[in-house]
Order: sequence, then C-alpha cells, then structure tokens
Amino acid sequence: MEWNSTQHFWLIILCFVVAFIPRFVPLAFFRTRKIPKWFNEWMGYIPIALFTSLVVKDLCITSSYTLSVSGKAPELVAALIVFIIAYWTRSMALSVILGLAAVLVLAVFI
Amino acid sequence: MTKQVPNPNEPRWLTNLKTAMPLNISYVPIGIACGILLHAAGFNTLLTALVSLMVFSGGAQFLIASMLTINSPLLSIVIMMFFLELRYALLGSSISKYLQGKSFWFTVLFAVSLNDETYAVNYLKLSTDKKFTAQDALQIEHYALIVWTISTIIGSLVGSSLSINLTVVHFALTALFIYMIVMQMKSLLKVLIILLTIVLAIAFMLLMKSTLGLVVSTLLASFIGFFVESWIRSHYEKYKKNRLLRLFKNPAGTPEDKFDEEEETE
Repeated sequence: MEWNSTQHFWLIILCFVVAFIPRFVPLAFFRTRKIPKWFNEWMGYIPIALFTSLVVKDLCITSSYTLSVSGKAPELVAALIVFIIAYWTRSMALSVILGLAAVLVLAVFI
Repeated sequence: MTKQVPNPNEPRWLTNLKTAMPLNISYVPIGIACGILLHAAGFNTLLTALVSLMVFSGGAQFLIASMLTINSPLLSIVIMMFFLELRYALLGSSISKYLQGKSFWFTVLFAVSLNDETYAVNYLKLSTDKKFTAQDALQIEHYALIVWTISTIIGSLVGSSLSINLTVVHFALTALFIYMIVMQMKSLLKVLIILLTIVLAIAFMLLMKSTLGLVVSTLLASFIGFFVESWIRSHYEKYKKNRLLRLFKNPAGTPEDKFDEEEETE
C-alpha cells in the first residue's frame, strides 16, 4: 500500500497524541504536588537504566527482536571508543563526532 | 569563547545557547540522517518539518521511517510509538520537581519538546547549577528543536541526491546515549546497575518482542538500584563512605558544568 500525504499527516497527528500523553501527564501531575523523597531517589536510577537499555537495543537487538551482533562489529568497537572518549573528555560533541567518525572508518575496514 | 571565566553580564539566551551547543552539533548529522530516512519512507519536506516539530524524538522519527518502509499499518505504528514514548513518563517524573509551580501552558510546551537528549542536558544543569531555571531549560529544548527541525529539512531536501550508509549515521544517537551513561556513572552501584540493565534489557526485549521490553528493564533495574541504595543508607551509618555508594572522582574534570558539586561537599 502506498501512503499519500493526507495519511502521513494523520499518522503525525496520532503519533503526536501518543507521544505527548506520557510526557505531559507526569509533569502536570507533579507540578502542583509534593514529590515524595523515595520517588526522587528512585528516579535517580531511571536515566542510567533507560540509556543502557537503549544502547543494548541499538547494539545487539535486531529489528525482529532477536539477539545478534553479526555485522555490528564496527558499532561495537566504536561504542567502546565513545565510552573511553566520553570518560576522559566529558564532552558530548567530541563523543558523538569522534564516535561517528570511528564507525564510518571501521565500517570500511571490517 | 571565555568559558572558564563566565561573564556575569552575558545575556541568558547566549549562556543557554552555549549550554545547548554540544547537543545542537550532534543533532545536525542525526537530523540529516533522519530527514533522509523519512524522505525514503515517502514523507515530503513539509511533513518532515511537521513531524520534527510535533514528535520531537529521534528514536520516534526513525521508528516511523523504518515502519513505513516495511509497509506497517497505521495502527501498529501508533501502538509501537506509544510504547516507545512511554519511557518519557519516567523522564517527565524525574524532571518534574524542577517544574513545580509552573503554569499549565509552560508545562505543555516543556512536555512537547522533552526528549532523551534535552532531558539529559537539562537534568544535568538543573541538578548542578542553581542559577539554571526551568525557563532556561525550556529555551535549551527550543534551541535543540530548531536545530533538529532544520537538520531534518536539509536531510529531506538532499535525500534524493545523496546515498549514505544510514545504519552508520544512526550510530550518532547510540553514541549520544553512551555519553549520557558515562555521565551518570557516579558510583560503583551505578556501574553494577548498568551491567544488570544489559542483562535485563536483552532478556525482556527477546521475551516481549517489542520496545516494551525497554520499559520493563528500565523499571526493574531502576527499582533494584533504588532498593539497594535505600538498604545501604538504612543499614550503614557512614553510607557515604560505603564502597558501593562512594562517588567517583571525575577524571578529566568539568570546568563548565560543576558536576556533583552539591553531593561531593559533605
């Protein structure tokens, strides 16, 4: 089925709705209420768990949700390089740009 | 660029622009890649701009593009989108304490342009820089949104004439996430939670065959981290000296951001 622009438009509107609700509801809920201390402590572990999950998905989960790293050698090596660069420089721009450069170069050689 | 000596008379918008700059720079290649993908999936330039403004999340737009190219039905794209975006409930909750007392429309605007990257930058600033307000955070989000949208438009325009390896460019996003993980590695317990998350994320994504596995592994790992930390806090008087909770020293130092300043002054 070939989509036309009107269908694309409605897709965007629907995606906006489902993307907006989970972002807005917690913000609106806690905007006017006192947040319990335990909740804040728990939330302190959210970023690390979320970003790790996302990286795992990018590096070793295929689009059909099986575990595979075949063909991912450049990404895996580059991930290690990014990790080291991020650790030593603490620079977001350097990490991303050098990481991209690394994966481009490695994709040619591996 | 006199970052070491902050000028007190520097206008806020310029200070915020400088804070947003690393994110803006990394958004350019990712945004262009995303624009190319959307173009390949059949989006025209106007729709690309619209989706960038309304669903401001690289992951979400990559998902739309890849599901359209495999001819997924509308409903399944929207459901997948919902599960992908569900994680923002967690990010929203975790950043909500800085938005207390803000108006309804401010919250709406903030929510629309909240995503992984703007969250990471803003959370870092809000939790370490006392002068950094929610208003500044919103401005950072808008800078990122503008750069992202322009980049996707460029990608959409050059899409037909350029052939680049998109899986490679997608790595820019992965690199950004790795950077954020490194910035969060503040104690041995956090490192252990990372390792645990790797196992849980693989297990649940294979089991659930969807990005919902991401949500479950994130919830579970963060719960375990929180419980272990509370347990240590309640069982050891000198918990700040505990091997698991002791904060790491920062190897390269951070002249601009003053990481963990509050936490390290005991």
